[in-house]
Amino acid sequence: MLGVIRARTWLRYSEPLLQPWKVGFSSLSAIDGRKHHLLNLQEIETVLTDVKADDVKVIPVPKHCDWADFMVLATGRSTWHVKNIAQALIYKAKQKQRGVERMMLPSVEGQAGGKWIVIDSGKVIVHALDEKARAYYNLEGLWTPGGIQNEHDEDLQKALVKVRRKNNSKKPAQKNA
Amino acid sequence: MAAIFASRCSRVGRSLFGGLSNSSPGLFTTLHEMTCKNMFSQQQRTFIQMRTVLKVVDNSGAKKVMCIQALKGKKGARLGDTIIASVKEAHPNGKVKKGKVVYGVVVRAAMQKGRCDGSEVKFDDNAVVLVDKQGQPIGTRVFGPVPHELRQKKHVKILTLAGHIA
Repeated sequence: MLGVIRARTWLRYSEPLLQPWKVGFSSLSAIDGRKHHLLNLQEIETVLTDVKADDVKVIPVPKHCDWADFMVLATGRSTWHVKNIAQALIYKAKQKQRGVERMMLPSVEGQAGGKWIVIDSGKVIVHALDEKARAYYNLEGLWTPGGIQNEHDEDLQKALVKVRRKNNSKKPAQKNA
Repeated sequence: MAAIFASRCSRVGRSLFGGLSNSSPGLFTTLHEMTCKNMFSQQQRTFIQMRTVLKVVDNSGAKKVMCIQALKGKKGARLGDTIIASVKEAHPNGKVKKGKVVYGVVVRAAMQKGRCDGSEVKFDDNAVVLVDKQGQPIGTRVFGPVPHELRQKKHVKILTLAGHIA
């Protein structure tokens, strides 16, 4: 019992540098440690231009969300094109890490579907969507400042519009002389 | 076990406070009630298993779902795991209807989960975001706080749609 308490207090008050068990558990710490291996913003934009992705938009993430710095939105013309965008980014990451002992690839999510693929390369997250998915999820409206506020304002205006109720009664309208 | 503990407490109370004064039994009952409340009325923080009712925190149209299968682990699902659920309550004009069997990702769980820095994260409620078989979210927005552990579980789409990341 005393040993457990002693170990806990040591973990609590010891310096973060003296805790090697932390390294490797978190994907973020591993990514930050080898940031130069993964893709940066310029390389991602170059790749997206090469594969002819439509409507590429770079959105800086607000400061309160510390899990990423930039979000890149790109539209593919078809399912095949969206998958091709993801494959091109992975290929670029492999080319950049040629000769490294332990290759570190960006995590890819949604490659089976092909409607919305997310490539997580550390501090830059790339969203490759087809046209319908981009219109449906409306990520620009969510992440641009004031986008959600505008949506709420529209909903409020719709709620305040006076709608005349239909007259569903079977009786004929009575004329009051 | 609970009944045994309560009966033992009451016996000890009678033997100790039996002949002291008129106010002492009242004092003991309040203490006894407080201990029982603290012990037995607290929510049990366990795994999400079959017949667990969860809150839906996206705009897919469902309000409450009931877990019918946890897709990982023997005991049940935890934070970030995928479950199969049946819709129990739904909005009339939503994308999913009552009785439909759906997939869901647990984004908030009452059971604590350890983080790599030694701290633990736990929430007041159990909440899910409905997804399809490919993992695409059915709704377009996620309400409330969402932990960043979902990034390690490869649910970056849910993190993207969420408003607040804990």
